[in-house]
Amino acid sequence: MQAGALMTAHIFGIRHHGPGSARSLRRALEALQPDIVLVEGPPDAQDLIPLLTHEQMRPPVALLIYVPDQPHKAVYYPFTQFSPEWQAIHYALHHNIPARFMDLPQWHQLLQEDPEKDLEEDLEEGLEEDSAGEDLGEAVAEETDPDATAKTDGGEGVEQAESMGDIRRDPLRWMARAAGYADGESWWEDMVEQRRDSADLFQGILEMMAALREASVAESLAVDQSAEQGSEPGTEQEEAKRKRNRSLEKKLEKELEQDLKYEEQREAWMRQTLRAAEREGFSRIAVVCGAWHAPALAEMSPASKDVATLRGLPKTKTSATWVPWTDERLTLRSGYGAGIASPAWYQHLWDEGEQPASVIVNWMTRAAALLRAEDLPASPASVIEGVRLAETLACVRERSLPGLTELWEAAQAVFCFGSDLPMRLIADKLVVGERLGQVPDDTPMLPIQQDIRKLQRQLRLPPEAGQRDLDLDLRKPNDLERSRLLHRLNLLDIPWGRLDGGDHGKGTFHEIWRLQWQPEFEVRLIEANVWGTTLMAAATGRTRERATELNALPPLTVLVEQALLADLPEGIAHLMACLENLAAVTSDIPHLMAALPPLTSVLRYGNVRQTDTGMVAHVVDGLIARICVGLPTACASLNDEAAEAIFPLVRNTDQSIGLLQKGDHREAWQSTLAQIAERENVHGLIAGRCCRLLLDQQVWPADEVARRMNLALSTATEPNQAGRWIDGMLRDSGTLLLHDEALWEILDAWVCDLKPDDFTQLLPLLRRTFATFQTAERRQMGERARSTVRQQGTLSIGNKIGNKNRASNDSLPDYDPARAARVLPLVGRLLGI
Amino acid sequence: MSSLLRQHAEDQYAEELDLLAKQDTRPRPPNWKLSPWAVATYLLGGTLEDGFVVTPKYIGNRRLMEIAIATLATDRALLLIGMPGTAKTWVAEHLTAAVTGDSTLLVQGTAGTSEESVRYGWNYALLLAKGPSREALVPSPMMRAMTTGKIARIEELTRIPSEVQDSLLTILSEKTMPIPELNLETQAVKGFNVIATANDRDRGVNELSSALKRRFNTVVLPLPATLEEEVEIVQRRVESIGRSLELPAEPPALHEIRRLVTVFRELRSGMTLDKKTKLKSPTGTLSTAEAISVLNSGLALAAHFGDGTLKAADMASGLLGAVVKDPVQDRIVWQEYLETAIKERDGWQDLYRACRQAL
Repeated sequence: MQAGALMTAHIFGIRHHGPGSARSLRRALEALQPDIVLVEGPPDAQDLIPLLTHEQMRPPVALLIYVPDQPHKAVYYPFTQFSPEWQAIHYALHHNIPARFMDLPQWHQLLQEDPEKDLEEDLEEGLEEDSAGEDLGEAVAEETDPDATAKTDGGEGVEQAESMGDIRRDPLRWMARAAGYADGESWWEDMVEQRRDSADLFQGILEMMAALREASVAESLAVDQSAEQGSEPGTEQEEAKRKRNRSLEKKLEKELEQDLKYEEQREAWMRQTLRAAEREGFSRIAVVCGAWHAPALAEMSPASKDVATLRGLPKTKTSATWVPWTDERLTLRSGYGAGIASPAWYQHLWDEGEQPASVIVNWMTRAAALLRAEDLPASPASVIEGVRLAETLACVRERSLPGLTELWEAAQAVFCFGSDLPMRLIADKLVVGERLGQVPDDTPMLPIQQDIRKLQRQLRLPPEAGQRDLDLDLRKPNDLERSRLLHRLNLLDIPWGRLDGGDHGKGTFHEIWRLQWQPEFEVRLIEANVWGTTLMAAATGRTRERATELNALPPLTVLVEQALLADLPEGIAHLMACLENLAAVTSDIPHLMAALPPLTSVLRYGNVRQTDTGMVAHVVDGLIARICVGLPTACASLNDEAAEAIFPLVRNTDQSIGLLQKGDHREAWQSTLAQIAERENVHGLIAGRCCRLLLDQQVWPADEVARRMNLALSTATEPNQAGRWIDGMLRDSGTLLLHDEALWEILDAWVCDLKPDDFTQLLPLLRRTFATFQTAERRQMGERARSTVRQQGTLSIGNKIGNKNRASNDSLPDYDPARAARVLPLVGRLLGI
Repeated sequence: MSSLLRQHAEDQYAEELDLLAKQDTRPRPPNWKLSPWAVATYLLGGTLEDGFVVTPKYIGNRRLMEIAIATLATDRALLLIGMPGTAKTWVAEHLTAAVTGDSTLLVQGTAGTSEESVRYGWNYALLLAKGPSREALVPSPMMRAMTTGKIARIEELTRIPSEVQDSLLTILSEKTMPIPELNLETQAVKGFNVIATANDRDRGVNELSSALKRRFNTVVLPLPATLEEEVEIVQRRVESIGRSLELPAEPPALHEIRRLVTVFRELRSGMTLDKKTKLKSPTGTLSTAEAISVLNSGLALAAHFGDGTLKAADMASGLLGAVVKDPVQDRIVWQEYLETAIKERDGWQDLYRACRQAL
């Protein structure tokens, strides 16, 4: 009271997003005709204000304030058309009067964070470097969170309603409770947002908040007192419990204290800005701030105290820019949104402006159109009924206008047969909205951001907030460039598009992407600026850095694959060097083998992407040579488990080498296979498969294979080893057995010669192999085995294995042709033949 | 007290309706006895300005009732859908009683419901004697509601054959009923409307055509949301029915009601209330209405064969009848439930023993 109110200042307490507040404010400003407008916002972004009326500016957008050398320390200030701040600045720019941000600058705030927390996060980042993308995103979210909520809680702070009962955090809830509303949001909406006569509104808000602030101070005093009391000694348990409670209380108290201090600093800065404006001689100062702060600005405390409060604040350098924002980010649902539940509804209220009737009609019509787009019936007649029901419902509830609840319930009763499922389908579009804002080209941007925008325009691939599928045909130059753009962004951990891995049967020249642009990508772009000033340079730089860090082949191979898709020649050169170095020192043949298939597929199909494959070919040559040398030793003395692991690798390597169609590779590979097949101590599974591969590639003639099979299956060999050998030979390929007479006979003879005990021991192994065959193949084998029996009268494998199938195979009963013939004339007559 | 077994809603709650009408100053739609606000107060209960307490008729979601009332205030027909025993008919009756003071204009939907019961029939003696004339016409409840501006109720709309359902189309959209035989028509007076009920559990019913669906606003009545809500419903209803049936037994203790509702809710949801044990669900719906009737029969048993206070044994046979609808499957479900859920529960031993004996 001592200093009293400034006569020149007019305080407008608002909620940060609200069409009603925005409209009332605009009207109040028109009436007041101020000569300067002060807005609660970061002075860091003062220079960006004029861009707000730029013709390319499309809300929702956000001010992004960040520390240039630590871009993940960042804060967003979201704005949309119905933000009162937006309207205030808009008014100022249109009337050619100065507009200023007056909140505590972020250059004093961004480094004020808890040092422990930073350390923890750094640690996490270090540990999970591979998935840095996700972590970084969260880190940004976390760090930004306190600021964002701090910003909003002055106005409405609904999201913290449950966490603390104190007035300061959620002033509106107290008012709502007093008025019999369930929550502050709906109370504010009814009282302020949907109000049409705005006279005295701001005076009312000011008085209300002043009362609440007084109550809040009283309450915190009461808390302090109660904390002082109640320290009587009790039982041990109680003591412990009390201690816990005390420490919790202490923590809360400390938080509260910090919050209070922070709030004081902010309000001190606001008052100082206000004083400065007055000193400059402005006579009608409009101050637009969160409703909570309004009383603090109306009653000015002595300037000296504010100066003291602000003395010695840490300072850092910050940069600011406009970034596009989305409707979804404006909701409560996203972690650091601005905290309104239904942006699309508010936007609708704002758009429809003064005509309440058209608000309802247009909303209902839009709901019907959206339902129809989802193939649900919604006729114009139903729209009429929906509007009538919504209006009547509002009457029953004694509200002057149907709100979102009434409209929603009416639509559900009229369109959806009482069920809420169809409405959920359209909820996102109808209530939340899917808009993505746009910022002018001359917004201060880092080079890499400009590069991306240029590319987006060139390739006609505008960022969108909704999800969208994109089918790229890589034979077309434009689509190929788009694919490269998306792959490069992915390398920078900006997953704008996610590649759909599913096989669409469209050939290797197709890529299906699922696109969705997220506003926080802008921050990651800023971070990516460290690695290069263009997308290509940054992606290359990032790839090189990661390649140097990696010291295992498999992840490196994955990176190579990504780099190849993203077409980064320099990056690939570096990667190949890394790969070669690593391959030279690795003794792990399976890793080498696993690295081969992706590279060969690049070599083989790379021409669709016009990748330079020379370097890859060089590495592949080296890889194959190393595999051929090392594999025989690697296959020695394996147990069952290890053999099972190597088995698919051998198969895939064989396929890759087949794919390359290079004679010298094939020869080297085949001689390796022969070497393995001949070795004594090789696991049966691998030896059998090598033999089989050589047979398939006609290196070994059929009789040679037959001989080897005989050898492998001879009685001297341990039955288990023999069984595994057969498994390796035959797995997944019953047809071979059916059509290769020689192979069949060898197998048949081997089974016939088995002793009953050995047979029992081998049966599970055989059964496992044969189970991989298809039913039709097994049936044919059974039939074939039986015919062998009939011809030769010997006991054969068919008899043993085919027994199961006997019943079904015997479905043709024996019949007497003579007796059957006697029925034929009657059948003929019945059929009228 | 009247000798009728069950009174109409408008008679039973005549006092409440009367007082509401006297104190209701809000605007009323044409031909309505009460304003929409007063109708809502009548249904959901409340205290009037002079301190008179209106008992709640429907315990549950206020919004649903508001939608229903708002629907009637427009000229759209109202369709109440829900499982059997979710108070569809109850709500319909009280709505009509409150809005028009007459809940008797009722068409009971069955597979045999003919067009005459929806439109009009003929007095054949008169028809033969004098030929077709207005006098020979026998109006249906629907037609009487139209001429008097009241609300007609259709019970079990989905059981009415599709071709008879179709005769509602003109009535609902044009608000007139043509009488081609006399070259006349009956036009609805303001205030006329239709409340239909249908259940979504039974199979093999006549699904509504989309043309008919379109003419209704639908309100889905859910099962009670919480244990407390269901207990309150059962308690209120049992008390009021017991009074009208003049059962000498004492009103049941809250304890028994709570146990019964717990059994019903657990079996219905297939899970114990503490969400720790999974249970099989029986084939029946186990609605709140059934819980009420189990308690009533228990009360009757206690009054006439017991000592006048409701005991577990009095409820056991009723419970068995409500749960076991399919003699084979449901019996297993019930036995399993007894052994796994009830047996070990504190203070439930008497119920367990009684149920074991009843099996």
